[in-house]
Amino acid sequence: MSKHDITLNVNGKKYELTVNSNELLLNVLRDKLFLTGSKYGCGIAECGACTILKDDESYFACMVPAVAADGWNITTVEGLADGDKLNPVQQAFIDNSAIQCGFCVPGMVVTSTALLRENPDPDEDFVKDYLRGNFCRCTGYVAMVKSVLDAASKMKEAK
Amino acid sequence: MSVIGKNTPRIDGPAKVSGKQQYASDIIIPGMMYAVTLRSPYPHAEILSIDTSEAEAMGAVCLTYEDIIPVIYNERSVSVPAATYRDRTVLPKKARHIGEPIAAVAADTEELAYKAMQALKVEYKVLDAVYEPEEAMKDGAPQLYDKIYFGDEEVIVKNNIGVVRNIDEGDSVGGFARADRIFEEDFELPRIYHCQLETKGCVAAPDTEGGITVWATAQSIHGNRQLLAQTLGLPLSKVNVKKITLGGGFGSSIQVNTVTPICAALAMKARRPVKLLSAREEDFYSHHKYPSKFHVRIGVTNDGVITAAHVKALIDFGAHQIQPMSFMGCVAGWFASLYKYEGNIKFDGVAVYTNKTPCCAMQGYGNPQINFAIESMVDIICNEMGFDPIQFRLKNYRGTGEEFWGQGPTIRSIIKSCGVEESLVEGSKLMEEWATRGKPEDKHGDILTGVGLARGFHCSGTAGPKEGEVIDYSSALVKVNEDGSIDCVTPVMDHGGGTWDALAKILTEVFKVPLNMVGLSPADTKNTGYDVCTHATRGVYCGGAAVYNAAVKCRDKLLEFAGRVMDEHPCHLEIVENEELGQGFIQVKGFPQKGRTIGEVAKIAQINSWGTAMYAESFRQKNCPPCFTTHFVKVAVNTRTGEITIPKVVIYGDCGVAMNPDLLYGQLIGSFNRGLGYVLYENLPHDERTGKLKNNGLLVDYKMPTAVEMPKAENVIVRHAHTYEPTGPFGAKGIGEAALASVQAAIANAIYNATGIRFTKLPITPEIMLKALQEKGLAHK
Repeated sequence: MSKHDITLNVNGKKYELTVNSNELLLNVLRDKLFLTGSKYGCGIAECGACTILKDDESYFACMVPAVAADGWNITTVEGLADGDKLNPVQQAFIDNSAIQCGFCVPGMVVTSTALLRENPDPDEDFVKDYLRGNFCRCTGYVAMVKSVLDAASKMKEAK
Repeated sequence: MSVIGKNTPRIDGPAKVSGKQQYASDIIIPGMMYAVTLRSPYPHAEILSIDTSEAEAMGAVCLTYEDIIPVIYNERSVSVPAATYRDRTVLPKKARHIGEPIAAVAADTEELAYKAMQALKVEYKVLDAVYEPEEAMKDGAPQLYDKIYFGDEEVIVKNNIGVVRNIDEGDSVGGFARADRIFEEDFELPRIYHCQLETKGCVAAPDTEGGITVWATAQSIHGNRQLLAQTLGLPLSKVNVKKITLGGGFGSSIQVNTVTPICAALAMKARRPVKLLSAREEDFYSHHKYPSKFHVRIGVTNDGVITAAHVKALIDFGAHQIQPMSFMGCVAGWFASLYKYEGNIKFDGVAVYTNKTPCCAMQGYGNPQINFAIESMVDIICNEMGFDPIQFRLKNYRGTGEEFWGQGPTIRSIIKSCGVEESLVEGSKLMEEWATRGKPEDKHGDILTGVGLARGFHCSGTAGPKEGEVIDYSSALVKVNEDGSIDCVTPVMDHGGGTWDALAKILTEVFKVPLNMVGLSPADTKNTGYDVCTHATRGVYCGGAAVYNAAVKCRDKLLEFAGRVMDEHPCHLEIVENEELGQGFIQVKGFPQKGRTIGEVAKIAQINSWGTAMYAESFRQKNCPPCFTTHFVKVAVNTRTGEITIPKVVIYGDCGVAMNPDLLYGQLIGSFNRGLGYVLYENLPHDERTGKLKNNGLLVDYKMPTAVEMPKAENVIVRHAHTYEPTGPFGAKGIGEAALASVQAAIANAIYNATGIRFTKLPITPEIMLKALQEKGLAHK
């Protein structure tokens, strides 16, 4: 097993780490950086609970070898808020009662944040399609889709 | 302003959206080891030996059958011991299904643990396996067990029959004789998987006093503690299970999860903290929903009165009993409580061992299964005899004043609140297409649409007026702090439905304080009294009642202090709301001129050394009222592809007073989504040659509904009935499991209305739909 020195920029902080070549980014985030917001749900890119951002693009952290993330600029769910001020998607999830057990929510809000950066003015079908890679067994998605649309309109108003 | 019945943002919302909410799988302890289980590659095999030497040489700590105390138990401890079958140990001498844990190892890293697990050398004697209950009951079929235990008695297992349960009430022979027509049908529901998003897991940390602290995926911390104490041979006081947020329940953790005692035993052996998380592929093999086959007979008069009904049930519950006995009692109870049948019912149930994953509760405990059968039968009867489906139901249903079986035949109560009529009548207006739905033979075109109706319910808890075979009570400690804020310690779990928010709201109402003045404290099994489990839709109704009763007694104590402060007899005092002061205000009834805030009174009591206004209570409800649901569903069947979509749904829920309407609607919509999966997609077929799941435990080959399959948001119409449950805290009863009960039949009835094809077996996948359309000559090319 070869070892590699890598640098990760996570939530605005720089980490220099030595990782095994078979180590996954999700495990590094959770077990080495103690950023346990990103969740393990399936390990095969099917559920979206581990979703993180590389710059503005969403990735499944369970599928990324940590060595491949060398030099990445990463935002995890813990980095979405500005201090105690939640980002518009996070706030909308609360306002629209889109949360139940909450285990999928970190991945959902990260994916939804990426969605709105890609398309600030989505319609319902666009949101549903975008979220199909994020699995939620509790809510039935309706309130989550409403949340994303609500966040989009609030962000437009704020401009 | 009272917050009961109003939408308030979830208290745990900020923690959950920011990734700060901790779940059992997030616990990290310095010096913690990682554990991996070795799972049986055979569906049925004796374990002759396990050689751990190589794994131990790698630095791993190993756990096999030799290391455990051979306590024989049932993972589910909700029923009384005398009504509980026991057949398993922490690790087995014989594997009875693929994926059954047979050994475990812990090491410094997950990778090393995995390699050490692979280095275990197991000698198996592979046995013939049996997968279908009909086969398993035949003479000469492979036998999973020779003997098991029922209560303290040894039971010899014959032909793999685990439980037989027969119930006969009234005079079904006479009832059927009075009927003008008798309808008869077979129904079959598949084996499916909870797929709670957090896989089952545990972190266990031994302490220096010989005890252990445990964080586990659990619906009951006390259930976990009691089994762990037994399997570790420790006094209860040495086992502490911490209450922690659960990443999805749906019944998947009603029992102590199989990995939990393994993790705890490993930690005790290693004398170090151990984390054991299931991989999704392992979790897929841990517990399933009970697949069920029913034969149903119903007798009806020409006037539309049901005179008798008879259900025969055959249940395949897999390799271990996680209470198919109470499951069948409940199936009988849900069946008996749906309609009056003039009191003439008969139930014959058989539950059978097979070499498959054990089955446990999954949202409804047999209710969605039997509801599908009975509500499909009602649709058949109405179609064949020309009855109006709403009027027929109103004529025959069990409502206010009628008996309701809350948890099988031994837990019975009388219905005191009922929103069935409102739900059926108002729901049919909201589904405008109901009135114009027409008959299947009138429909033409590539896309056939139809509307279906079904109604259902679930119990709110399992506490009948007379104690039966199920344990039901909860506990709470409530105290008023010296600034008027309120602390509450309770073991009651929340699976995400909002139980904890409801408990907090109950406290605000008793003490007339704003929501932000109430806090639920961290809790564990050491600092709380017993709570049976958050199951059976009992969180708000039973757990909430314990909090309510503790709060009321705490308030009495506070008013006694206030009487001394204000020189008044406490019986003349009341607490009223005071928005300006931001907390409860104690005054002489009706005289706001003279008064003190609750914080002032608590502070004066402290300064004068009178004590703290606090009370701890262990409380049992004396009722288990039904919460009702009604579903009107519109379907569109594509006759070219067999694909079924749902353009619109009307959902009516009756939970008494809704503590938080948005959270209620969330449960109703989420359940509709799961029901959609149950009817249209989900199934867990096994490979008959290998005993493996055909999806190999992979999520990618287990289709569940995503955001895309749901109707447009504006076409998901949700309402709640205007009822008040007199026995519930501030009029509340439950909703959780009721929310799923009638989804299945409503969709299947709509498919019949669209196509004239009656499905009595689920799921109805596009392939199955298309084949049925082709057979009927309805498929378009």
